[in-house]
Amino acid sequence: MDVLIQIVASGLTLGAMYAVATIGLSLVYGSLNMLNMAHGAILTLGGYICYAAIVHAGLHPALALLAAAAVCALVGLLIYFSAALPLLRAENFETNIFIATIGIGSVIENLMLKGFGPYPIPQPLAVGGQVVIGNVHIPLQNVFILGVAIVLMAAVAILMQRTSAGRAIRATSMNREAAQLMGVRVGRIYAQVLALSGALAAVSGIMISSIATLTPVMGGDPMLKAFIVCVVAGLGNVYGAVIAAIALGLLEAATQYVLGVRWSFATLLLLVILVLIWRPYGLFGKQQVVRL
Amino acid sequence: MAEAALEIVDASAGYAGRIVLDAIKLSARKGELTAIVGPNGHGKSTLLKAISGLVPVTSGEIRLDGSRIDRLRPDQIVERGVIQVPQGDLLFPAMTVHENLLMGAYANSSGSAERLDFVFTLLPKLKERRNQTAGTLSGGERRMCGIGRGLMAGGEVLMLDEPSLGLAPIVIEQIYEVIFNLRREGRTILLVEENAERIAEHADMIHLLDNGRIAWSGLGAELMARPEIVETYLGV
Repeated sequence: MDVLIQIVASGLTLGAMYAVATIGLSLVYGSLNMLNMAHGAILTLGGYICYAAIVHAGLHPALALLAAAAVCALVGLLIYFSAALPLLRAENFETNIFIATIGIGSVIENLMLKGFGPYPIPQPLAVGGQVVIGNVHIPLQNVFILGVAIVLMAAVAILMQRTSAGRAIRATSMNREAAQLMGVRVGRIYAQVLALSGALAAVSGIMISSIATLTPVMGGDPMLKAFIVCVVAGLGNVYGAVIAAIALGLLEAATQYVLGVRWSFATLLLLVILVLIWRPYGLFGKQQVVRL
Repeated sequence: MAEAALEIVDASAGYAGRIVLDAIKLSARKGELTAIVGPNGHGKSTLLKAISGLVPVTSGEIRLDGSRIDRLRPDQIVERGVIQVPQGDLLFPAMTVHENLLMGAYANSSGSAERLDFVFTLLPKLKERRNQTAGTLSGGERRMCGIGRGLMAGGEVLMLDEPSLGLAPIVIEQIYEVIFNLRREGRTILLVEENAERIAEHADMIHLLDNGRIAWSGLGAELMARPEIVETYLGV
């Protein structure tokens, strides 16, 4: 029983981190058909901004988190205006933006390397203590991460389902031309989605670095995992991505316990291959049912 | 004679350097049903797209109540009250009927509750299906939902692009009953239709679009009295 509690606790923490990292990536792909390869670098930048805001500017951790989210939202906007907007006007947008965001990610990573150095730095935004369930000691930091992730996912769900802005984002992702005919300014929607994605990436970066350490290249692994989650769920399917992230987190925790840490990533990749063979459009990316 | 709501003055438009519409001149008068008929692929849908700002107008002008709208973005044109129900509906398939209708009121949400009541009264089937996803509606219901979504915008000019396309005759009758009711209520309607016979009796003015140009304009009865035009252009 204790083993099960340990696996569930670790799996939910991992899954929550993957979910927050994935939501932004999935939102951007769903709306713009844009695979944002700079997502991992933005996530890392969020971690560093939070660190700098607490250690160098002396801000309260909550304010530091908001500052990091704001800066990364701004970076999302910059990516829209500097890369996505001009490339949207040309052909082969999906390929061009894929390559462009690899370059942007590399620039951000190197700026962080220059500014903060190559050595690992601990994230000061951490919650001490632990809760005990049975004989299992669960760090409060994990509970904090889970709580933040749940709040963020609920906020995104309310935004998407209950607000006019959220409906406009969903409408644009379903049919850009029809959304325009409803009076939706799609350029503004794209900018909003990239800003939101940047802010979510920042929070994700802070959470991930709070249980690991900050390094300029730390975004690579979560970006890869987020991509795996996106593919398993079905690219662009935000709700499917959240469920897939939690499931993959639990699977990873279970694999680490049963087979060992070195097998966890291989298991995830094997799962992706099997899912792609079985359902090429992802577990939740089911084909639209349209009567003709 | 009613004053013009929408005027198209020598407007040309097309895609990637290819001219599809060549110096089009027509108007849609307030409270009237203006129809554009013509063979497939001769620019009828492109004309509506040009009015909506989806296809750039390369020369000439498009005016709404005397003000130019041909340099505006699509969202600005919708805000000014020119609403298009596109060919094939273009509904948001994963959204419910209710959400699709709410999207219709995206640019003009004031009074949307009253307009929703009006749409549900006019198209009661949509009220029954309000929580059903649009992608699972039948062809006729989808077309009704598209018209309802257009009405939710509360615009001044309602443009309908081939609302009968691909539907069974009995459903086409229902759709046109709704459109003619809207006309009787005094809505300004610009209707694209391939089948001139269907709308000849009800249209206040018909324009025949051939190869991107207006080949003939007149009353519906006049068109049907010109068998050589009907036969040559419309194949009736």
